[in-house]
Amino acid sequence: MPVSAYLTVSALLFAIGAVGVVTRRNPLVMFMSIELMLNAVNLSFIAFAHFLNSVDGWMFVFLVLTVAAAEVVVGLAIIVSIFRTRRTVDVDDLNSLKG
Amino acid sequence: MLNLTPYILLAPLLGFLALGLFGRSLPRAMISVVGCGVILVAFGAAVADFFAVLRSPHPVSDVHLYTWLTSGSLTISFGLLSDPLSAVMLLIVTGVGFLIHVYSIGYMEDDPGYWRFFSFLNFFVFAMALLVAADDFLLLLVGWAGVGLASFLLIGFWYTRPAAVAAARKAFVVNVIGDFGLMIALFLLFGAYNSFAYSTIFGARPIDSGTLTAITLTLFVAAAAKSAQLPLHVWLPDAMEGPTPVSALIHAATMVTAGVYLVARAAPLFSAAPTSLAVIGGVGGASALFAASIACVQNDIKRVLAYSTISQLGYMFMGEAAGGFSAGIYHLMTHAFFKALLFMCAGAVIHALGGEQDIRKMGGLRRKLAATYRTFLVGALALAAIFPFAGFWSKDAILGALLERATVGGGTGWYVLYGIGLLTALLTGFYIFRLLFLVFHGSYRGAPVVAHGANAHGATAADPLANVHEPGGTMLSPMYALAALSLIGGGFGAQALFNIGDFSAFLAPARVTSAAELPTGLFWLSLGLSLAFALSGVAIAYVRYGSGQSYFVAEGSENALTKLLQRRYYVDDIYDAVLVRPVVALGRWLRGAVEDEALDGGTRDLGGAIGSLGDSLRGFQTGFTRNYAVYVFVGVVLFVLFFVSTRP
Repeated sequence: MPVSAYLTVSALLFAIGAVGVVTRRNPLVMFMSIELMLNAVNLSFIAFAHFLNSVDGWMFVFLVLTVAAAEVVVGLAIIVSIFRTRRTVDVDDLNSLKG
Repeated sequence: MLNLTPYILLAPLLGFLALGLFGRSLPRAMISVVGCGVILVAFGAAVADFFAVLRSPHPVSDVHLYTWLTSGSLTISFGLLSDPLSAVMLLIVTGVGFLIHVYSIGYMEDDPGYWRFFSFLNFFVFAMALLVAADDFLLLLVGWAGVGLASFLLIGFWYTRPAAVAAARKAFVVNVIGDFGLMIALFLLFGAYNSFAYSTIFGARPIDSGTLTAITLTLFVAAAAKSAQLPLHVWLPDAMEGPTPVSALIHAATMVTAGVYLVARAAPLFSAAPTSLAVIGGVGGASALFAASIACVQNDIKRVLAYSTISQLGYMFMGEAAGGFSAGIYHLMTHAFFKALLFMCAGAVIHALGGEQDIRKMGGLRRKLAATYRTFLVGALALAAIFPFAGFWSKDAILGALLERATVGGGTGWYVLYGIGLLTALLTGFYIFRLLFLVFHGSYRGAPVVAHGANAHGATAADPLANVHEPGGTMLSPMYALAALSLIGGGFGAQALFNIGDFSAFLAPARVTSAAELPTGLFWLSLGLSLAFALSGVAIAYVRYGSGQSYFVAEGSENALTKLLQRRYYVDDIYDAVLVRPVVALGRWLRGAVEDEALDGGTRDLGGAIGSLGDSLRGFQTGFTRNYAVYVFVGVVLFVLFFVSTRP
């Protein structure tokens, strides 16, 4: 398969993730969308690594996975503590920090 | 040789620190005891020093306390000198200073700033003692600046009065001109001698006469500012805005004597610079005559005395210019006695009349203030240089020096200066006895004196002076002491009448040179002339004012000369027009155009622009997370488009 096929799938996934982040109001779903975008990027990294015969792409993927895991941990903790204080996790209600 | 000079400095310094730090919470009696006690200790040390110097065959000793700083070839030590000149000066500073401290106990008893006053007085004495005891020019500069600071603080002591604040500022500004002159002189001295120490500089080989003239002239600029000589005299008459004891201290013991002292101290330099001596003679003579003539028409009791001080300082400089450096110091000493006395008497009169200073509203105080009158009379006779009062001996020494300088080929100029000296003697006799007659003789011309103090009686039209009473013992006893000194203070010169050079011989080891002896005939001629001129001044004052009737010209109908004198030769007006107004106008312009519009306006506009930029951007911060996500997304897209479009 040509590399463009992989990249097309990757771009689609990324676009779905981006739309999800912008349109959904549940932070858990927004997280899942962000994960989707990250993995879309991972997919294109691996595609390039395979076609260019370079190990660099793999390395990036591992890095992204690690960071994503850490990010989810921190993010979930924040969401839990927000829920404990405000009894809601709708991101549109969390708008007190504005100019 | 015994040298207690460090203690003379230490005692007032400790007093200043103690009163300045803790005085606010101390009882008044304690403040008086500490304030006067430290000066008494200093005076005791000064007396011991003086007799040690008097008896010693080698009366110069230098206490090296520590090395202040070392930099390359420059080493400055903190050392104090004890020699005849500084011994005499310290005696005057601490002795007259002590009497003024005692007088202040009575004069300032009701003042809320009592502790502050004594603290400043102690500092004044300390700074002056440092000035005269320093053994190099740099340390002298420290004392010099300290004296300027102390006078600023004390002239502006009543800091709620705008006039006092203005006078303090004026004194400070004029003195800074002098400080500038002294610093230039110091730079030149170091350039020429590579040292600041008196012993090195005065013992060095003669240097290029141009440099020497520059050094001595800049030194004289400093001396003229401190000693209120033309054209830098303007601060002294205004300095009477301070309390009267301060006037006494400034005019007699400290401050104005510093300039005369500096010239006498640097006598070896000045002796070798005839041009500078001529300049000093000219300035001194002009100041003497100028100030004496102004004093003849002033109507403020302290202002008359202030101009009298300028005039007498002019005398001292004339004497020094003629080579009679010891005569200048001699007159400095006797002048300290009688001028402090006159100021104290004036203070007693002002005190008794509840703050009145205008002699047109005085008169007839002789009976009510008998003791003040008697002491004032002694001071006036001493100032007018009537035999055998102290001023007679010293003024005669100065006139003798001038005449000697003129006769040994000095040229016409010195005869003119001698003539000015005689004329000033006449004016001096006139103005001080005019003051005496107007204040103490005749009948009282003022409003009834309002009661103050405990023993108040009702003042009536029949006896407007019912509430006038003599000052208390703390004020009277220093006046008696100074009256005694004004009477016998010329005792140093008692032999001088028959054998010139006793005081001069005493000062000689300090390199203070004296004029040569006059031939006997000329000597008696000079003596007779000066006495005759002084007596005729007194006589004119008696004819005009002594008859009991007041003689005042209505305001507006004075003749041109009186007007000129009353306006003090317009010097203040000229300075105002030439210096003060342009500077103030420049300041106003800078404040308006530069400060307000350019600097403040510029920063205001910049701040405003940034503020409105922020205002226009704040709409973007909605608080909605999803909006931010869109911004990020749009931003990334724009970045990518940018990189893609600029790809080669």
